[in-house]
Amino acid sequence: MAATNHDAFVDAAALYAVGALPPEERAAFEAHARECAACTAEVGSLSSVARTLPLALPQIDPPFALRARVLAAARGTRAAHGQSMEQGAAEPPRWRRTIGWLSAAALLALAAAVSADAVATRQRLRNVEVRLQDALDRLGRSEARAAAASQESAGIQARLAVLIASDLTQVNLAGQPSAPAATGRAFLSRSRGLVFAASNLPALPAGRTYQLWYLTGGAPLSAGLFKPDASGRAVVTLDPPPPATTPSGLAVSIEPDGGVPAPTGAIYLAGQTH
Amino acid sequence: MPAATAADRAALERLARRDESALAELYDRHARLIYSLALRILRDQGDAEDVVQEVFAQVWDQAGRYDQARGNVAGWLVMLARSRAIDRLRRRQSRPETPNVEPDALEIPDATPLADDQLLASSRAVAVRAAMDGLPLLQRIAIELAFYEGLTHVEIAERLEQPLGTVKTRIRQGLLALRGRLTGAA
Repeated sequence: MAATNHDAFVDAAALYAVGALPPEERAAFEAHARECAACTAEVGSLSSVARTLPLALPQIDPPFALRARVLAAARGTRAAHGQSMEQGAAEPPRWRRTIGWLSAAALLALAAAVSADAVATRQRLRNVEVRLQDALDRLGRSEARAAAASQESAGIQARLAVLIASDLTQVNLAGQPSAPAATGRAFLSRSRGLVFAASNLPALPAGRTYQLWYLTGGAPLSAGLFKPDASGRAVVTLDPPPPATTPSGLAVSIEPDGGVPAPTGAIYLAGQTH
Repeated sequence: MPAATAADRAALERLARRDESALAELYDRHARLIYSLALRILRDQGDAEDVVQEVFAQVWDQAGRYDQARGNVAGWLVMLARSRAIDRLRRRQSRPETPNVEPDALEIPDATPLADDQLLASSRAVAVRAAMDGLPLLQRIAIELAFYEGLTHVEIAERLEQPLGTVKTRIRQGLLALRGRLTGAA
């Protein structure tokens, strides 16, 4: 049974691992995987991979106060558990036990002993100061990390905002005679902007930049500048075209550094919207 | 750091005995990862804090029931947090909550607990980031839309205007490539 329809589930283990199966397909896959050792092993392995994905996110420290809230919530449930489930272990907090048997006079004596023990108190205060300084240092480092992370995250969010726009269209750009191996893909949202990815771009001469153009009925409009990495790849996020224009395509040329208002150099990549 | 994993398991055993310091220890080790994940999914600090609190409350309640053969503790926390955050996201967007989103609906034994331990160690963060950056853009975007936006493959295909089969294949290829890069397998 499992072997006969196994082929129908080739992609399902991966989709299950990233949570992309709709409910009915998930149920079908779970039923199959219970009978199929290969799928069970594959989904276990791919789930392990999926669980590591968050490590790639910018890591941001939770607010300081959250730790106390989490622990206080657990303490609250333990008080409830303690009465019903842990008969032997259920004990009131130390201070309540203490006050239970201490007379008022004994309490006064205890207070006197505590204040007499001023040396120990000062020592504790110093310990607290050291811990406070440590906490402040950690807070400072966390803030620096958060600033760096939010900068990184802003760039990623800008790209993602384009890619999940409801009006997203894709434009494939083909290499022109000056660079036949080059390819490019543009993801264009009229409302949110443009994500452009290219590979196999020839290295730029000194003092030159690639410039991406929106092709319109009239003069091409600059979409922005970019430079590929050493392997000829580039990914950039750029502004959307002006509201009044409807691009019919995109093209890439090499221009002097800083860009030019209208293309002057050879075209390296071009593609039509559809 | 396998040491952190062993310490996690020890902390979980103490947690099952209602040792509150074990919860503090797990919080100090993993709250940052869980919070960053919830923040990425929900993009709201208050909601992300609530998710972290719910996850640790669940851990406190269910530590005794956690099956250690199922993989490591950090991975468990990640799936708890993702599931709760995606539920919230769907409620917010008034999309139907998928029942059964609870992880481990399927009794998945962890096929490679050792590799998994290594993968989840914090020292692997750089490797995971590099592996993700190295994926073809659409493989990466499709995986992110599933994992962080809670979209099904049907919804991803609509969003990216790609054929359904292409999206399924890209997600699979992407995960296989990540696995290859992270475990050093071919």
